[in-house]
Amino acid sequence: MTLAYLLRRLGAIVVVLAIVTVAVFGITMVLPGNAALMILGEHATPENLVAMERQLGLDRPVWVQYGTWVWGVLHGDFGMSLRLSLPVAQVVGEAFWNSAWLALMALAGVTVIAIPLGALAALKRGSVWDLVIGLFSYVGTAMPEFVTATLLLILFASPEWPVMPAGGYVAPSEDFLGFLRHAILPAGTLGLILMAHISRQVRSEMSEVLSSDYIRAARLKGLRGRRVVWRHALPNSLAPAVAVISLDVGYLLGGIIVVEEIFAWPGLGRTLIYALQNRDLPVIQAITLLLAVVYALSNLIADIIIAWLDPRVRHA
Amino acid sequence: MTDLTLKRRHVLMGMGAIGTLATFGLPQGAMAQTPKAGGTLRISHSTRIATLNVLSLSGPAEYPCIDMIYSGLTRIGLDSKVHPDLAKSWDASADAKEFTFHLREGVKFHDGTPFTAEDVVATYTAILNPDIPSSARSVLTMVEKIEAVDPLTVKFTLKTPFADLPVSTAHANARILSKAALAGPLTDLDTKANGTGPFKLDVYDSARMVRLVKNPDYYQPGKPYLDAVEMMLFPDLAAETANFLSGATDVMLTVQQAEFARIAAQPGIEAKRVASGRYVCIVMRQDQKPWDDVRVRRALALATDRELLVDVILEGLGRPAADSIVPPELAFATDKPAIPYDPEAAKKLLAEAGYPDGLKATLVASDRPAIRAQTAIALKQSAAAGGFDLTIETMPHDTYLANVWMKGAFYIGYWGMQPTIDATYRLLLTSDASYQDTEWKNAEFDALIEEGRATVDEAKRAEIYAKAQAMEAEDVPYIVPFFEDVLTASSTKTASWEVAPISRYFYVEDVWLDKA
Amino acid sequence: MRDFLRNPAGLVGLCLLSIVIGAALFGPWLAPYDPQQFHPKTRLQGPSWDFWLGTDQYGRDLLSRILNGAPSTVFFGIGSTALGVGVGSVIGVIAGVAGGRTDSVIMRVLDGLLAMPELLFTLLIVTFLGGGTTQAMLAVAVTFAPGMARIARSSVLSVRTREYVMAATARGESRAWIVGREVLPNALGPIIVEATIRVSFAIMIGATLGFLGLGAQPPSTEWGLMVAEARQFMFRNPWCVAVPGLAIAFTAMGFNLFGDALRDAFDPKRSR
Repeated sequence: MTLAYLLRRLGAIVVVLAIVTVAVFGITMVLPGNAALMILGEHATPENLVAMERQLGLDRPVWVQYGTWVWGVLHGDFGMSLRLSLPVAQVVGEAFWNSAWLALMALAGVTVIAIPLGALAALKRGSVWDLVIGLFSYVGTAMPEFVTATLLLILFASPEWPVMPAGGYVAPSEDFLGFLRHAILPAGTLGLILMAHISRQVRSEMSEVLSSDYIRAARLKGLRGRRVVWRHALPNSLAPAVAVISLDVGYLLGGIIVVEEIFAWPGLGRTLIYALQNRDLPVIQAITLLLAVVYALSNLIADIIIAWLDPRVRHA
Repeated sequence: MTDLTLKRRHVLMGMGAIGTLATFGLPQGAMAQTPKAGGTLRISHSTRIATLNVLSLSGPAEYPCIDMIYSGLTRIGLDSKVHPDLAKSWDASADAKEFTFHLREGVKFHDGTPFTAEDVVATYTAILNPDIPSSARSVLTMVEKIEAVDPLTVKFTLKTPFADLPVSTAHANARILSKAALAGPLTDLDTKANGTGPFKLDVYDSARMVRLVKNPDYYQPGKPYLDAVEMMLFPDLAAETANFLSGATDVMLTVQQAEFARIAAQPGIEAKRVASGRYVCIVMRQDQKPWDDVRVRRALALATDRELLVDVILEGLGRPAADSIVPPELAFATDKPAIPYDPEAAKKLLAEAGYPDGLKATLVASDRPAIRAQTAIALKQSAAAGGFDLTIETMPHDTYLANVWMKGAFYIGYWGMQPTIDATYRLLLTSDASYQDTEWKNAEFDALIEEGRATVDEAKRAEIYAKAQAMEAEDVPYIVPFFEDVLTASSTKTASWEVAPISRYFYVEDVWLDKA
Repeated sequence: MRDFLRNPAGLVGLCLLSIVIGAALFGPWLAPYDPQQFHPKTRLQGPSWDFWLGTDQYGRDLLSRILNGAPSTVFFGIGSTALGVGVGSVIGVIAGVAGGRTDSVIMRVLDGLLAMPELLFTLLIVTFLGGGTTQAMLAVAVTFAPGMARIARSSVLSVRTREYVMAATARGESRAWIVGREVLPNALGPIIVEATIRVSFAIMIGATLGFLGLGAQPPSTEWGLMVAEARQFMFRNPWCVAVPGLAIAFTAMGFNLFGDALRDAFDPKRSR
């Protein structure tokens, strides 16, 4: 894991991002219809359509539009949203923080709960605990987010028994408790599925470590069980867990799209779907870029952490 | 006979409605209580206010905003008739080719500049400018010239006679902008607003809230009663409903059919059902087989179970329609006999038309709003008994707009109510209609509509429009299965909240909050 | 195989899978009603003697709709996976066998594609393709291909240095022969195992796309779409969202458990 390697990875990320923007731009251009048509809807007389395209700058040649956009981005200007009468930076910026809170809450909750659960399952192999945790993780991985979310809504947000709000958002600056209440179900949905992945992974890694020679050696040396687990077994099973968590960031970025749509959480996912429906190209571009950057960076960071946790990789 | 059926229908509707059915005259604000001033009205809505650009906006939550911020020369009332707004009166020449509007004195824009005839001229020049996207242009195409006679008088000269011009000037997108705003960059209209309406723009945030505050200089003395109005965006219906029921908001702009009964049953809530001329129509392109044959169209009409559609799709909150795009609320609307559901007769007609074994067709529906696909699905079921084997193709709205709308042979349209019979027909059915998508072009019909425009005498116009509607009924250019009610709800503390049947006029200056 | 049956997870998986495949093969014939038939008098009902799983907002029988949607759901999962695995494997095998510059170029491109989060990638592709079942299937396949290519490549690489391949090379066999007769059959195991597990992902992604309105379109009986259409009514009749939702979960779980057990059977070391 040298500096040169890091630079090479970063370079690859930049190239990928460039390709992504060209692809998104190109394909959007080829599609029938555009933002002007979506704004006017069924009031689009040919005359109005032409005027609206001119107003939005959609009448310029494709390469000019792309060039202008890239030039702006390189200067830190993501342009105006075609639909929302707001600068893209503002639309996406607000959405990003809302999503980030949700994702972090889910990740943090999961890390705190799933890793001990997995360890427990591995330590009590074959017990009821193991079975329950195993079953839970199997069911969890087989439920798409929208199913989990819908079931949670029926259970906790029905009009007859509204324990939780059925969706929506309150700014944390206005009402922090309200913010948390609104975040519980969406973060919980994401968390349940992540938990299933991670606890399973920790369990299998830890079982492997527990039956490995050095743990047996440690036990033979007379070290007590708890010390063995905390000092030797768990740290050694963490590297794979981190790897899974980083993979799950990718999952999370996808899952958040669905969850935000269901719970009306004004984050990146919901904004992206709105932008896709309205053909709001600058917003689509900005969000796709942002998600790809987050994903690539999280992979990179995970690789670094794994190398740091696992000496074998460090020297490889 | 005519009267009887009409009455019976209204009685039936009254029974079906929970809460109140809007009275079509004056707002109920003429209650015994005197209005109290002050307070902030919180209106919830679930579609974004993506722009405040009066000239081109079309969002359901955008209309109330501009209705509060701007005024037009004229305005449509809750009775679906024209009322004075910035023009306190107008006169028309006998040939209906020259209209003179007399403007109100002493009206000021929100920034303090006085409102004059120059602003009216600038606004209408912009609306008619083909380089500027504007929704009102299609109802004003006959205007040749607009002049400021003096600072308080504007004269419209028309190319062709048009008796309904004052209705066109009431178009929701034809509100008066200031001359200065139109001289600046037009994109500013998206987020800034300088009108003459009862409320001024305070905060515009398309992601969360639009806040409007009282305009103390509004031309109606003593109004508006409210200090401020907040349009709060709830992107989720469940959250919107929960907040409304808990009292966090005062008005729910639009109530979904599926939720209406539950909301109406809550204490402290007044749910309103306003009979409206909003409709779904089935577009059949008549320059193509098989829809060129009127027998096929009539067969489909007979194979449409309107009662079922109203029950299943609208949860009963609407009225079966008789394949006319003219709703009963409009002036000169004739009473139309209900079309029975008669699949056997439909089969027979199909056989006559040369399809003894039934007819296969692909019906396209956009995925937005959901009512289109729902209508398609229900129609497929209903028409199957009449020998129609329909395949439903649902597609994303952008693909639909680009590839099917105005081009397809058989698809689902969805339109809002228009203020006049002339506007209704000119939108879709005359040969030069703005959105002529059936190719049902009929010179006789066109001539009738033209004659109606030029006729000032009411009785004569009634006769002309009756003829036009008879032609429509005869030829079935569209299947119109039902008219959808406009559904809204307010807390009982909110007095005088009304939505006009053309859900683009709201009269928020009359609303007041009865909070002790 | 005996190992496989001794594994309780595998057994459960096999049972679930049999039910699902059974429903997929015979569902449309078993359905008590026409899945599109309205019963306007009995809308949004819970389970009853007439409607075992209740009815939806149009009064359509949920059991019939589930049974009717089974074939397309299973076909979607298997079809898109097969397509993705097929294309991915070919690319991976080419990269692995060719080595050198071809390999590194292919791997760079794959890395690029893998830099997009999976669902986001699928979502973008399907939006651009225009929505619909075929489009959704293509999108899932395209999303799967890079990952599968990687797995195929690495398993080819691991096989390539085995003795029997070296022996064949030493015998002077042609490259095509070696790939066809020695490398592929031995690299196939991991690919099949991965593919089985991927089917469950494909089914879930397909359902999610249906739910978002980008996959199957009304009046299709695709399960994700059923949840989406009934969502407005979920508090009035929870059955109309719970039934299709759980059907998706069971199917995905069946493929998941089966795939895991298959992997354990292929690679006993991982069973712990």
